[in-house]
Amino acid sequence: MASGVPAVVRVEEFRIDVVKRQRAWGWLVISYLFLGGAGAGAFLAALALGQLWGEVLGLVLLVVATGFLFLDLGRPERFWRAFLRPRTSWISRGAISITALVALGGLHVLVAGATGGGGVAEQGLAAAAAVAAFAVMVYTGFLLSPSPAIPFWNSTFFPAIFFAYSLLAGIDVLILASLVPPGQAVDLPLLEAVQLGLVVVCLLMVLSHLSVMSHAGLAARSSIALLVRGHYRWLFLGGVIGAGLLVPLAVAAPGVLLGAPTVLALSAVLAVLRLAGDYLFRFLVIRAGCYDPLR
Amino acid sequence: MTRWAMVIDLWSCIGCNACTMACKAEHATPPGVFWRKVLEQEVGRYPAARRVFLPVLCNHCAEPPCRDVCPTGATWKRDDGIVLVDYDQCIGCRSCIEACPYDARTFYADRATYFPGVTTPYEQAQQTFPDGVVMKCTFCVERVDVGLQPACVQSCPTECLYFGDFDDPESTVSRLVAEKKARGLLPEKGTGPSVFYFGG
Repeated sequence: MASGVPAVVRVEEFRIDVVKRQRAWGWLVISYLFLGGAGAGAFLAALALGQLWGEVLGLVLLVVATGFLFLDLGRPERFWRAFLRPRTSWISRGAISITALVALGGLHVLVAGATGGGGVAEQGLAAAAAVAAFAVMVYTGFLLSPSPAIPFWNSTFFPAIFFAYSLLAGIDVLILASLVPPGQAVDLPLLEAVQLGLVVVCLLMVLSHLSVMSHAGLAARSSIALLVRGHYRWLFLGGVIGAGLLVPLAVAAPGVLLGAPTVLALSAVLAVLRLAGDYLFRFLVIRAGCYDPLR
Repeated sequence: MTRWAMVIDLWSCIGCNACTMACKAEHATPPGVFWRKVLEQEVGRYPAARRVFLPVLCNHCAEPPCRDVCPTGATWKRDDGIVLVDYDQCIGCRSCIEACPYDARTFYADRATYFPGVTTPYEQAQQTFPDGVVMKCTFCVERVDVGLQPACVQSCPTECLYFGDFDDPESTVSRLVAEKKARGLLPEKGTGPSVFYFGG
């Protein structure tokens, strides 16, 4: 807002009985959640597959994601203070996990690149970096789920959903990156099989979350109403559920289950759809968060 | 030990917003920023329709979720129960806004002023906050510490706001909570608010 122009205060700010939507976190935090999850997921998947280029790509994505978080801070020059309260704050735990992943992952890439892998140091670094990557993938779920203010986020499913979506996005990043010239070899049939399983897991958990929340209080039901009947219904039903999960499931399942040869172009299209669904899922989870009315 | 608390008589509140304006005057809060405000709602149908009012502010909770989620320790609680934000430590991550069930916190980022391009000498003197941080009601700690009542309590023309030591069983606030069965908002959240309501 330009200096000197009085702020417009919404009418609903002064109503007792309305369910208010959260507006504190916007697209910068949403983009961080998406890129951070995809980066940590890509790193973990590449570590498991033994592909150093994938590890590097995952770490680069993670650093870019952290840039979004940095830009979102009101006082970015004090970012280092975010590390100070790991005993109670999930933001502090996340900041420490991200730093640990970048440091340990970077060291692993260097050591594995220099030695060719297999040494005790390389394996120790790989194990430690894998733990840090896991922490980065799940902590965002814990960041939201303890909130007493926004019932739609009070879900034990969230850490698991965020982990599954992060791994799904990370593998999709690897699939798409393998197509960029000069091209990197990936075991596409294996990755498509894993993705099929992850899509089923994500679908079941998202639907279970909605089912549980539909029996919760007014604010949680208002969040669901926004997603399935309200302002966001096309993005949620069409984007998250349809394009992001059901279409990849329907298209990939016959090929994976019958062992048909994987078509590279089709895998790329499915990867883009799943990534778009992942971004929309995180976007809508944040945007649909609602506070209970005060009375 | 002192534990400051506020009791609000909703029968007596007439929705005049004197408390809202006293708060803005005391702290020189920017346009669109309300450390406290009066919510309202119409109930009933004509001819029996009426308006009800609900003054809201930071609840200075016994177990403040805003303090627990703060990654820097900027949000802290004094021994007398007043929850404050240390503006020198706040990084503006807004996790406290997401954690507060009472929508009592505001992120201040745009440097809006009431007079175009000008911060008045009064605002310069009264504003204790920089931009890029989260702010909220302080229970007028600068007044309470010198024995005064918070500005909102002082200004209320209907005397529907009471402020005092909740740990003193003889205080007005303790007596009202006991006699009028005053209760905090959203008790199911488990935050232990220090602002209690009765009537309405």
